[in-house]
Amino acid sequence: MAHVNIKQLRKTYDGRADVLAGLNLDIRDGEFCVLVGPSGCGKSTLLRMLCGLEEISGGELAIGGEVVNHLPPAERGIAMVFQSYALYPHMNVYKNMAFGLKVAGNSKSDIDARIRHAASILKIDHLLQRLPRELSGGQRQRVAIGRAIVRQPRLFLFDEPLSNLDAALRVQTRLEIAKLHRQLAATIVYVTHDQVEAMTLGDKIVVMHEGRIQQAGTPLELYQQPQNLFVAGFIGSPKMNFFPGVVTRCDDSGVQVEIAGGLRLLADVDPQGVSPGAAVTLGLRAEQIREGLGDGQPLRGVVNLVEHLGEANFLYVTLEGGHDIVVRGDGNRSVHIGELIALSVQSHAFHLFDAQGQALRRRNPGNLQAARRLAED
Amino acid sequence: MKTIRAWQLAVLLAPAVLIYALFSALPLLDTLRLGFYTANDAGVRSFVGLDNYRTILFDPDWSAAFWNAMWNNVKFFCIHMALQNPIGLLLASLFSLKGLRGARTYRTLIFLPTLLSVVIIGFIWQLILSPLWGVGEKLLGLVGLADWFAPWLGQESTALLTLSLISVWQYVGIPMMLIYAALLAVPEEVLEAAHAEGASGLRIFWQIKLPLIYPTLGLVTILTFVANFNAFDLIYSVKGALAGPNYASDLLGTYFYRTFFGYQAQIGSPTMGAAVATLMFLVILAGVGAYFVMVQRRLTRYAL
Amino acid sequence: MQLSSSVGTSSTSATIPTTMRKPSLIQRSFGSAGHLWVHAVLCLYAVIALFPIALILINSVKTRNAIFEGPMALPTAETLTFAGFQKVLAGTHFLLYFGNSLAVTLAALLLILLFGAMAAWALTEYRFFGNRALNFFIAIGIMIPIRLGTVSILQLVVALDLINTRTALVLVYTAQGLPLAVMILSEFMRQIPGELKDAARCDGVGELSIFFRVILPLLRPAIATVAVFTMIPAWNDLWFPLILAPGEDTRTVTLGVQQFIGQYATDWNSVLAALSMAVIPVLILYMAFSRQLIRGLTSGAVK
Repeated sequence: MAHVNIKQLRKTYDGRADVLAGLNLDIRDGEFCVLVGPSGCGKSTLLRMLCGLEEISGGELAIGGEVVNHLPPAERGIAMVFQSYALYPHMNVYKNMAFGLKVAGNSKSDIDARIRHAASILKIDHLLQRLPRELSGGQRQRVAIGRAIVRQPRLFLFDEPLSNLDAALRVQTRLEIAKLHRQLAATIVYVTHDQVEAMTLGDKIVVMHEGRIQQAGTPLELYQQPQNLFVAGFIGSPKMNFFPGVVTRCDDSGVQVEIAGGLRLLADVDPQGVSPGAAVTLGLRAEQIREGLGDGQPLRGVVNLVEHLGEANFLYVTLEGGHDIVVRGDGNRSVHIGELIALSVQSHAFHLFDAQGQALRRRNPGNLQAARRLAED
Repeated sequence: MKTIRAWQLAVLLAPAVLIYALFSALPLLDTLRLGFYTANDAGVRSFVGLDNYRTILFDPDWSAAFWNAMWNNVKFFCIHMALQNPIGLLLASLFSLKGLRGARTYRTLIFLPTLLSVVIIGFIWQLILSPLWGVGEKLLGLVGLADWFAPWLGQESTALLTLSLISVWQYVGIPMMLIYAALLAVPEEVLEAAHAEGASGLRIFWQIKLPLIYPTLGLVTILTFVANFNAFDLIYSVKGALAGPNYASDLLGTYFYRTFFGYQAQIGSPTMGAAVATLMFLVILAGVGAYFVMVQRRLTRYAL
Repeated sequence: MQLSSSVGTSSTSATIPTTMRKPSLIQRSFGSAGHLWVHAVLCLYAVIALFPIALILINSVKTRNAIFEGPMALPTAETLTFAGFQKVLAGTHFLLYFGNSLAVTLAALLLILLFGAMAAWALTEYRFFGNRALNFFIAIGIMIPIRLGTVSILQLVVALDLINTRTALVLVYTAQGLPLAVMILSEFMRQIPGELKDAARCDGVGELSIFFRVILPLLRPAIATVAVFTMIPAWNDLWFPLILAPGEDTRTVTLGVQQFIGQYATDWNSVLAALSMAVIPVLILYMAFSRQLIRGLTSGAVK
């Protein structure tokens, strides 16, 4: 059994302020859990604490129901794939993969069987006698993964494994890792700073910032119901458009907010928690703004910049009132710089955040199409 | 676009090449040449082929001293290899351990003897080991080995050993630093990976760190070899050019000096000195050659 | 073997202080008792390394009797004396020797740095006929000790009428230090980004000017490394001062101390004072520059 329970986990260095402050997280057996966040948020520290390379300052860490706080890495049933692969430069691929097993005292035949099995899964059979320096980046990474697989751990840890690969290889390897997860039915904890990687790979995504968990949930939950400004701005590409404003009206139809320039917009959110006069922030994703006058709330602006992506355009528009926003438009429609553009938004597309940055509950988070499209990118 | 004119290239290269050639390379070649000559009392030189070498190597008056010096030098080298480099390796390994408090202080302090002049080192150890002063005896008394003390520097059987130990004591700093630098270059993540795979500190040292620093160990060996077969200063400062007692501490360096300059009864002979120098050169060349051959093999190891 | 920043770190966290990132892998490797052993060994060796030097310093300020009777005791009010120092300063030209050593070593360092950088630059930057051969020619100099050519060097020095001059020492030490310096500086120069030089070329700067105005100022970090490997052997050398410049005016500290020991062998007070005077400046410089020195050593110790 390889579920992971983290209770009130804390990390400090020599009495300074907490680097990780009282984290709580549960990962189910067989789940692919992604820790994502900007540099310095603590995700790597958390991973290293899971591995046993960092000491746990407070709280409890349990793997498979067993508290492992004081166990060395080798006794936790984990295997780690390092960002720079960390292959032993003077050993060939076979010996690299055999090292950990030899330390554990496995028999030669057992070691051989495991290596050959892993090599066939990862398609590195023909590389077993090569030295790391004779391998490409992608090959080295597969060896690093192979080294982890042969240990048959109950928990795999990946530390930003794709960041050293070029773009094309990154996409390909992402798919392979996803496939591997299904093949091995393993519990994986995966660290990355790239939210697209997180959204595509994770069953459960944990967004971290400044040593705290901002939100943990499925990709869809994070996309549709980000719980605070940080998660809302972090998940989704391009970044969500934000409008600071003041509440003018709250009732059953939602919350009306006046933003700079006198524009009043209605957000279909649960009005509990705000009252007229409160300072709030409206959030709106680029892909949920329609071009042209539809049956939503109208917005008007001038196009500053167009980025052509083929089947979509990203339009950088300055609205009346001065807001700069990004709109995802139809790639087939030609748009020119300086063009006046009319846009419309449905009330259920808005996100609303109170003065502390906490999100109000969206009542009709729908528009699953956009979410799905994003996940497939 | 790297078009440099010949004269500019010459300007850049000339000073270094000239000084090096004039004061280092050509003198060496000239010395090799000189070994084939001899000079009579009037100072007139004449070519004698391999006569000088025959004399040094086989003539009973000369060869005993030569082979004694040669054999002593080999012993000198072996003691250094047995002590200086392993101790340097041990110290460097300790320094490279993560999270060692005060590592920098230790490094600074332990490196100090290497900086000092051999003359100073030689003298102070002479004092410590001197039976008159008694410091050495007292120190051994602290660990209950006072009876063991003897005037080691003055005894034929122990003079060379003692001087070797003093030399080891002084020069441990160099392999220590070189190996330390090499250990620093081992990527930290590789060590972490080994640790995460359950390897103990000792295993990590033997199976990961050590193989990755083989090139440096080779370098340290050859540097020790060259330095040892060139050694002179310590013996001269402590024992003088005669390298007593009874030539027990004579090395090729001191033998060379005596042959070249003469000492007391012996008259100096530049041509014989040149021959000795040439022999020393051949010995060192053999060592360096062996090193390069082995390096070709070993260098296929680490490269990340 | 590359030594730059290959001490890899996994994804850096801006909030985690780098000095404290990985605490005690020692503790996990050796147990907390292991920590003590490590310190014990290091302390023991530090004592072994420092003890003789401390002995010199302590005893140089004690009276002759005190030196004999209580060699390891610290000087007390009664036994404290600076007589040895006075005798040394009065009886010999110690300060002169010091000046000689300093002058010779610094002059050699200067020539080595300048000429070595010029040669290293020419060898690494440009392709020309004989480049590799020249490289090899100079590289051999690292391994083959210059002393073997002494017979001929002496003849040359006599012929140039440079016997008993500091110039002779400077030239010899320069020749001795150039090979290693060229190697260290070559390694260093290979790491200078090509864009810098190309940018200068695009600006129409001549090749020699590029060297003197762009490259030379960038060499500051390498100076420490070159200095360590060339100054220490030059300062401590006994052989060449003995053979080429034994005269009173040009004597170096090392030779001076050696002669002094020979002369005043039983006047331990003075001898120890002389030794201390030779040691203390080195100690002071070392304490002041130890960080640069060790960094110079570890960053230059490549190949």
